[in-house]
Amino acid sequence: MMQREVYLQKNTRQWKDFIANYLDLDVRKYKRALKKFNRGGLFLFAFFLILALFPSLFAPYSPTERFISYEAPSTVHLLGTNDIGNDILSELIYGARISMMVGFASACISTLIGLMIGLCSGYFRGTLDELLMGFTDVVLTIPKIPLIIILGAFLHPSIWTLILVLGLLSWESIARVVRSKTLQLRESGYVKSARCMGFSSFHIMISDIFPNLIHVLLPKFMLATASAMISETSLSFLGLGDISMKSWGIMLSFAFSRGGFIRDMWWWYIPPGICITLCVMSIALIGFGFEGREKENEKRGVDAE
Amino acid sequence: MSLKAKNLSKTYSSGLLREGKCIFREVSFELEPGKTFGLMGPSGEGKSTLGRIIAGLERPTEGAVLFNGNPLSGMKKTEYATFRRRVQMMFQDPTDAFNPRKRIENSISEVLKLLDTPRTERIRRTKEMLKTAGLPEEVLSRYPAQLSGGQLQRLALGRILLLDPEYIVLDEPTSALDVSVQAQILHLLKKVQAEQKIGYLLISHDEAIIRFMSERVGILENGQLDMI
Repeated sequence: MMQREVYLQKNTRQWKDFIANYLDLDVRKYKRALKKFNRGGLFLFAFFLILALFPSLFAPYSPTERFISYEAPSTVHLLGTNDIGNDILSELIYGARISMMVGFASACISTLIGLMIGLCSGYFRGTLDELLMGFTDVVLTIPKIPLIIILGAFLHPSIWTLILVLGLLSWESIARVVRSKTLQLRESGYVKSARCMGFSSFHIMISDIFPNLIHVLLPKFMLATASAMISETSLSFLGLGDISMKSWGIMLSFAFSRGGFIRDMWWWYIPPGICITLCVMSIALIGFGFEGREKENEKRGVDAE
Repeated sequence: MSLKAKNLSKTYSSGLLREGKCIFREVSFELEPGKTFGLMGPSGEGKSTLGRIIAGLERPTEGAVLFNGNPLSGMKKTEYATFRRRVQMMFQDPTDAFNPRKRIENSISEVLKLLDTPRTERIRRTKEMLKTAGLPEEVLSRYPAQLSGGQLQRLALGRILLLDPEYIVLDEPTSALDVSVQAQILHLLKKVQAEQKIGYLLISHDEAIIRFMSERVGILENGQLDMI
């Protein structure tokens, strides 16, 4: 066993050296760079999270306080003011909470639905599996943004409607991943033993299968958050957001509709755009980090066998 | 309590036309308390499937498994619960026998909780089980990945014994272990059988193991069970 491991290690080292010397490509360097990138994502995410949790510590003014409108950046207003005289920096900082809340809340809903459907479908198989997966396929084919626009036009535009609609329409990929992992886990010895010993299906799903799904679920949750934040921004930009709760998307929408673009006030529309990009990127990077670690663990598992 | 296989057949259907492939047909045998029935045969002949059917984890296409003379399908809930406790199965891969995310202690106490055992009694029974399996108490605080294959297989047997089974289906219980550990597990199985009068259905492709363990031997080949 030891000999095999040493041989494998030697072999991989040789390959890496070969790639480094002949193809001018150092795999280890890229791996390190990727790890740093993930750590960067974590720091960036922590920064946005602190902004969202304690906006009053960082914002110079209240987001509703009014000053002279359309002011350019100055020492008093670092990012100027908007059409009704609100300080843009304060709006931006308070907006983090709304954008992240929409992202996380709808990701929670979609992860929960995806988890339940995927677990039941993979564990019970048979007719229930076919029905649930058929339903998932139907939901998968629905064009999301047009449907949300229609729903947004009919329903009262509020942040809760948005969270609910985004959450209810984005669980399919999570359900599929959870199902495939559950199908694999239900054939493992410990699940079969538990069935044989007479544990209930509910107990097996909660206590034996779910804990082994977390490492698959976590990256999916992060990516669902990122995609929900982007959807929220698109919808708010189209005017379907809740104007009483200013998110970064609503800031962009107002900058577009209330003279920010015409007056070339870049300090009004560039910062929310950058914030959305960075925040979504940080969440996606963390998600990719989790996925990468899972792949590494899987490889190590294969080698150990 | 008796456990009988009566005219069991298993067919797997696949493809658009649901074409059936018969794995075995008209298989009948009986397990006796305190004795071992050895099941041999080439790979892919359905030995493990037959084992799973006897343990109630899979349904036969035709025929029935009779527990105390009653067929499993159509059993009352209380009767089925008794069957579930009394007939257990031990699997081939010991590294896969315990949930990798739980400490051994939790996996063991879960079974005792299932039996509604009081807390003090749980500790006593766990200690007793470790003694039977010949393992130190330290293993309880470990995760499965921190234990060897032999230790895990002993624990797997110990955990099954907590349920006081009358029959155990042993699906290649030693094939994933090296020879010295194989012997230890086989001796442990024999000792437990002698003490508790448990009936075994031993599935293996190793003739020496079957000969060592079994009073009666059957060969599952070409879909038929031949007694030798």
